[in-house]
Amino acid sequence: MIRTLNVLLVGTSLLALVGVYGLKYSVEDTASERARLERLIERQEGQLSLLKADWAYLNQPAHVAPIVVRHQAALGLEPAGQAQFGSFESLPMRPVAQPDTVALDALFESLDAGVDPIQQLIEMN
Amino acid sequence: MAIISEGSAPIALDGGRKARGNLTRARIRWVIAALAVVFAVVGGKLVQLGMIEADSTIEGQERDLITATRPAILDRNGLEMAVDIRVPSLFAEPRRIIDVDEAVEALRSVLPELDATWLRHRLSGDKGFVWVERELSPAQQDRIFNLGIPGLDFVTESKRFYPSGKEAAHVLGAVNIDNQGIAGIEKHMDGEDVALLQSIGLARGNALAPVNLSIDLRVQHVMYEQLADSLTRYKAVAAAGVMLDVRTGEVIAMASLPDFDPNNPATAFEPVDGKKDQRFNRITSGIFELGSTFKTVTLAGALDSGLVRITDSFDARFGIRFGRFTIDDFHGKHRILTLPEVYKYSSNIGTIKTMQQWGKDNFRAFLSRLGFDKRVPFELPEMRNPNVPEKFSEIVAATASFGHGLSISPLHMAMATAAFVNDGYMVSPTLYKRSEAEARALYRPVISPRTSAAIRYLMRLNALEGSGTRMNKAAAGYRAGGKTGTAEKVVDGRYASGLNLNVFTSAFPLDNPRYTMVIIVDEPQRENEQSGVTAGWNAGEVTGRIIQRAAPMLGISPDFSEMIDTNLVPVELR
Repeated sequence: MIRTLNVLLVGTSLLALVGVYGLKYSVEDTASERARLERLIERQEGQLSLLKADWAYLNQPAHVAPIVVRHQAALGLEPAGQAQFGSFESLPMRPVAQPDTVALDALFESLDAGVDPIQQLIEMN
Repeated sequence: MAIISEGSAPIALDGGRKARGNLTRARIRWVIAALAVVFAVVGGKLVQLGMIEADSTIEGQERDLITATRPAILDRNGLEMAVDIRVPSLFAEPRRIIDVDEAVEALRSVLPELDATWLRHRLSGDKGFVWVERELSPAQQDRIFNLGIPGLDFVTESKRFYPSGKEAAHVLGAVNIDNQGIAGIEKHMDGEDVALLQSIGLARGNALAPVNLSIDLRVQHVMYEQLADSLTRYKAVAAAGVMLDVRTGEVIAMASLPDFDPNNPATAFEPVDGKKDQRFNRITSGIFELGSTFKTVTLAGALDSGLVRITDSFDARFGIRFGRFTIDDFHGKHRILTLPEVYKYSSNIGTIKTMQQWGKDNFRAFLSRLGFDKRVPFELPEMRNPNVPEKFSEIVAATASFGHGLSISPLHMAMATAAFVNDGYMVSPTLYKRSEAEARALYRPVISPRTSAAIRYLMRLNALEGSGTRMNKAAAGYRAGGKTGTAEKVVDGRYASGLNLNVFTSAFPLDNPRYTMVIIVDEPQRENEQSGVTAGWNAGEVTGRIIQRAAPMLGISPDFSEMIDTNLVPVELR
């Protein structure tokens, strides 16, 4: 009885030993993987911060303005003058055109006579 | 054989079996004792391990503090003005360095600017941590890494970067190498809460929400460019400007030249033309006699008191005598002037007469109401106390009425002008975004809306017919108005003729005022033979050009209708 129990316990201990050994190494692997990922994230965050700074720099009026000046002559750039601003309200209304009665009469007469000027135009093409 | 005797008890001899049993029990006790000692040692070691405090500091500073980040600073439209970038810094563990000389040689191949003896001294010894070089480029990091020197390692630090460079230098200020604000809004932010967050280790990663300033970077660029242009065009020694939103008190743009590069804060101490301390913020920490621009203040107060009416006339035929001094007009008309003419021709005599009709004590009290005898409540730490005499004598009041004998910062003048055109409601300026509703809660009436309307008329009149015509030529259509001020500078306690400080205060569009601006140009010279040296020729023209460029950005469209100007005329004068 005690003998079987002892054998069983020794067996369990051996199993546990192997298990713990394996676990230790897998944890070490996971830890190094985690450290690797953390380094990668840190590196990428660093690169991201540099890219963001780059983007901010390139977007600055202080950076864009000299480029504009450089190409001013070639592109014909000028600061907008006051006269170049306008609004829809400042546009004058379209002048009311009087219907061309003479032309209309001629059209109706030719239609009455059985000649359709539009039809003629289509046929000519 | 074990013989146990006890005192005088009779001697007894134990049997062999009993003796063996006693021996076994003694051995068990020894084993228990030995085990107890072993466990005590293990337990003691555990306690000792628990007591050890790992030293995580870097040269006396918390590691978190060194890698701490600061919130990004954005302008009012979300454009970045200050961002954090992560950069590697090189440190060494001298006790792990095997061959110091070899390490020094190798390091200097990548970083030749390091001094060899300094580096050798730095790397020898038994220290656990020393900085070698901070804020390296990624390329340098790779090259040092490839040298493979034991005992050298990198830590990632946050470095502040200002993409706008010098343009908003005085607004932003600067940070030191440990990322703590040392000037400008950066220092103010530290005073608020960033320092606290950093100290409890919360300011890590990108957790901090970005801060929106009231600055509009496009307008800031225009102002900076025009001020820089004025330095060359008029050969001035300095120029500065500030633009405020009159309704909210937000600072839209603020620049002061000569300036410094916030990416390299040491440039703030570089001398200009051999003179030291020239790179300060002239808007907040410079105090000046602002000359004739002060007449706006005098007339606003006098009209508001009711003791002077806009229809009044003043005798400006003769100079006013105070003892041995006579105060006269520059380019005087020497006739009787109406109040609008006093403003238009910038008559010193007329202004003094106006002030005398109002009363010098009322005048002094009005300056206190405007907050001219204390600092402007503002975020920037670079402020200076104004210099306004406690009590006005007759002559001091007379000179003060046209802006001499008392010094205030241009920001004071901008704040007062904003109130004068904003129906008389004064609000303290701010560098943070503020909505109109928030500003309304802070409104403090300094003059009545009716007086405010009269001041708007006077400012516009001066642009149409007075000293502001050169400004109005550039800014035509944007309904701008303003007042010039040409103050002779005090050199060694005397007014030096020929050395002027020129000021132009303005507001636009005057039919519905939105923005006010103060521009100063220090010691300008003639642009060419035909031009003058008074403020209208330089500070005024700069103002006009800024308005012309910036007004469309601020959503103000030009309007040339004459109705606007006629509507500005007060009823009494129609």
